[in-house]
Amino acid sequence: MSVLGAAGDGAGSTGAMAPMGLAAVPLPRGRRGAELVMLAFSIGVVLFAYASVGLGLNGKVPTGLATYGVLFAVLMLAAHLAIRRLAPWADPLLLPLAALLNGLGLVMIYRLQESGRGGNPGNAISTMSASTTTFQLVWSAIGVLAFVAVLVVVREPRMLQRYTYTLGVIGLVLLALPALLPNSVSEVPGTGAKIQVALGGFSIQPEEFAKLALAVFFAGYLVTKRKVLSLAGRHVLGIALPRARDMGPVLIAWGASLLVLIFESDVGTSALFFGMFLIMLYIATQRTSWLLIGATLFVAGAYAASKLFSHVGVRFAIWLHPFKYANVFCGSASVHTVCVPSYQLAQGMYGLGFGGIFGTGLGHGQPYLTPLVQSDFIITAFGEELGLTGLMALLLIYGLIVQRGLRAAVAVRDPFAKLLAGGLAFVIALQVFVIVGGVTQLIPLTGITTPFLSQGGSSLVASWMLIALLMRISDTARRPAPQPIQEEGMTQVVRGG
Amino acid sequence: MNHALRRVSLACLVMFLLLLANTNYVQGFEAGKLASDPGNGRTFSQQYQYQRGSIITADNQTIAESKHIPGIYSYQRYYPAGQTYAPVTGFDTPYSKTGIEQAEDKLLAGTDPRLAVRNLIDLVTGKPRKGAAVQLTINSVAQKAAYDALKATGLPSGAVAIQPSTGAILALASYPSFNPNKLATLNGTQLNKADKKYLNSPQQPLLNRAINETFPPGSTFKIVTSSTAFSTGKYTPDTPYYAPTNLSLPGTTHQLINYDNLPCGSGGKVPLIYAFTVSCNTVFGGLGMHLGGSALRHQANAFGMNRPLRIPLPVSPSSYPPVSNPDFTAYSAIGQYNDTVTPLQEAMFAAAIANHGTLMRPYLVQKVIAPNLNALVTTQPTVLHHTVSPAVAAQVSRMMADVVAQPYGTAHDIVADLGGITVAAKTGTAQNGVNNTGLDDAVFTCFAPVGNPEIAVGVVVKGGGLGADASAPVAVQIIKAYMHYLNTSAKR
Repeated sequence: MSVLGAAGDGAGSTGAMAPMGLAAVPLPRGRRGAELVMLAFSIGVVLFAYASVGLGLNGKVPTGLATYGVLFAVLMLAAHLAIRRLAPWADPLLLPLAALLNGLGLVMIYRLQESGRGGNPGNAISTMSASTTTFQLVWSAIGVLAFVAVLVVVREPRMLQRYTYTLGVIGLVLLALPALLPNSVSEVPGTGAKIQVALGGFSIQPEEFAKLALAVFFAGYLVTKRKVLSLAGRHVLGIALPRARDMGPVLIAWGASLLVLIFESDVGTSALFFGMFLIMLYIATQRTSWLLIGATLFVAGAYAASKLFSHVGVRFAIWLHPFKYANVFCGSASVHTVCVPSYQLAQGMYGLGFGGIFGTGLGHGQPYLTPLVQSDFIITAFGEELGLTGLMALLLIYGLIVQRGLRAAVAVRDPFAKLLAGGLAFVIALQVFVIVGGVTQLIPLTGITTPFLSQGGSSLVASWMLIALLMRISDTARRPAPQPIQEEGMTQVVRGG
Repeated sequence: MNHALRRVSLACLVMFLLLLANTNYVQGFEAGKLASDPGNGRTFSQQYQYQRGSIITADNQTIAESKHIPGIYSYQRYYPAGQTYAPVTGFDTPYSKTGIEQAEDKLLAGTDPRLAVRNLIDLVTGKPRKGAAVQLTINSVAQKAAYDALKATGLPSGAVAIQPSTGAILALASYPSFNPNKLATLNGTQLNKADKKYLNSPQQPLLNRAINETFPPGSTFKIVTSSTAFSTGKYTPDTPYYAPTNLSLPGTTHQLINYDNLPCGSGGKVPLIYAFTVSCNTVFGGLGMHLGGSALRHQANAFGMNRPLRIPLPVSPSSYPPVSNPDFTAYSAIGQYNDTVTPLQEAMFAAAIANHGTLMRPYLVQKVIAPNLNALVTTQPTVLHHTVSPAVAAQVSRMMADVVAQPYGTAHDIVADLGGITVAAKTGTAQNGVNNTGLDDAVFTCFAPVGNPEIAVGVVVKGGGLGADASAPVAVQIIKAYMHYLNTSAKR
């Protein structure tokens, strides 16, 4: 109503007190103007944060403010213009939120890279170089390009459905690739996790893209099988169990996630994929029993793994007693820093505690004390320098992205798109939950990237592609039908279906 | 499917609520515990995020301040005249503190509860927290004179000057000293290097000889013996006393002798004031035996011995242990046996006499000034002991004046003409080592001017030989500098 009223005010300046009912039904709007205003706000926040880092570190506004600021603003405005042309009805909130996260990530990476310069050369982060931020900015550009490319290629969500099995195979290959490659190529130094493909100082984490491909595959597969999968079998304790013969897909997904756990030492990815599959299965069938079966399988698998594989068991021990070994020497041997397992988690927690409610301010904390703070632990750097206040704001940004994604899922009519949007939105929530929960000691820590914030190109590009898919689906959902019904009437649109 | 999606949406909400609740718990409730955990390297550098209060002398010279530096540590401690004031200021490293830096740490750091309201106002107004400044009783002129004079001796030594009427410590110097700036570095490697160097140095530069090393008082203890005697009412400075060249000690084959085996007077009886002025051991040894160990100990306690003291730096107690045998009593009465004193105690001997027998509690901190320039704490002088009656003090004072004034006095030649400033003093030469084979320590206690005492000084120079030779010039330098300061500042 308010939108309608506002439109009426603008148009009704000629006719005094035109009754609303008599006014022509206004055309639904894509709200691109609102998007631009919010985007400008996001860019402003990012530039302010960037200046704040320089002021905090050495009392001067960074010299690169104009260059980097303009580059970042141009990049985001380009994305905005692309949306105007390619997805004019898409949700106006997603781009500003993504831009804000991407920008703050860049600022924090710049801040971490700079902590070794000037007054405290001893505090350089050995895993970062003077060009890390530039690289990350280049990756942001590639991310925005990928974002536009997805919008160009995927004109309709339904068109992805045609490539269900192709993408399924691609996803599995991407997922399995690091496990099949030799350790020298696929192991992330110092972590033991085989999750990357590194060639000549340049590395890609294929799992980030596997996530998208498999989401499409799950959506396409489950849409066709959902009728069968939702058939009820026996009732146990009031819950309708699925038929035993339909257990196949769940067991396969479970097996695949366990293989990832075992051969790539990557608990986080494993949990992420299985969780995404389960939720999509649930959305497709609406059967709670699938969730219970899946959760039981996962817990059983994880428990067995913790007993069988030391690296999983250690994670639990660290989670329960992070400060038991915290003070043990963390020294450097040969190339990489060797630390006791809980050192990183303890340092991250110390950083959070040190930041307190308001934080130290950008550039005033010592996030570099936490090993690899620029990737998995970047959220603790935010918590230290922006405090609880900043951390809650970041969580709310993620929450809003998830909420807008789910809203698109609810609004869109096509079941495939609905399932895909639901799965993608949930996977963001799950990823944030796993990593933020991990570094804040809520759940056992598993190393996965923080969407948009962590240093690293693959995650950033994949996150932008994910946002593009959500925007495409939201564009489809909000696009006025041939005979316009009502502006913004997302829930009303589905009245026929 | 929308029904399921709404449920998923609820699940996402729950996940985010869990994250929010947990971060609130970690950063809101656990924050203090995490921040103060000994494993948290961030905490120790936090103390360098705020400007620590300065330490200033009574005449407003800054001797320790925090300077703004670029980088993660916002402030670094700087000591403008490091070595001179090191025994007073101490040092402030990321790991440990000494001296005033330690004793007044909470006020300097601004964490003292008395500054809480101030901090709260600063938090609200957005001003950074600042520590309170500590103003000492130290007079920069006297302190500089003391350190320079000790340094000139080139020997391990300590000197303390006190204002007798208040107990305010005017100078507190120790040599060899250290440079606290070397320890105030925030570079771990440099700090380690400096720390090792000082700790391993055989000269023990970190040892505060003014208050934390004890020496035998030697003949300066005769002030205590005389005070004990006069307090009985049976003796005056003019009382003749038996003065043998050798004093046979009962129950032993030992004989107490005078310095260099010299006779005392003509071999008969001499007035106590003469024995004091030329420092006869045989007279005071005999007098001590007669008075008894417990009377001497009681009087020594009244001079502040045998008890720990905080000024607020911890002072090693000077000691006059219980003596049972008369022969040991004879030795202890002339400052040998197991008697030990700090240079501060030496100054307290003179200060008590100078202040008409009332010993004021020595103190270093004059006041603490909050960042808003309000005085937070102001030290009021307090009495430590009523050591002797004014009459007795006047008698001892008369004898001490003779030590300098009489041509035959042990300090007459060394304490040169101070331009009208009269000095009352007692020298001491403490014998050391097995069978006194070690180098003698030069001990000196004095106050000036005799009529209206402004300053009492105690000096010990280890291995300085005859008392007056090495330590008296140090005291003279301090008195000269301080009296000059008083005269010029009075004219201003």
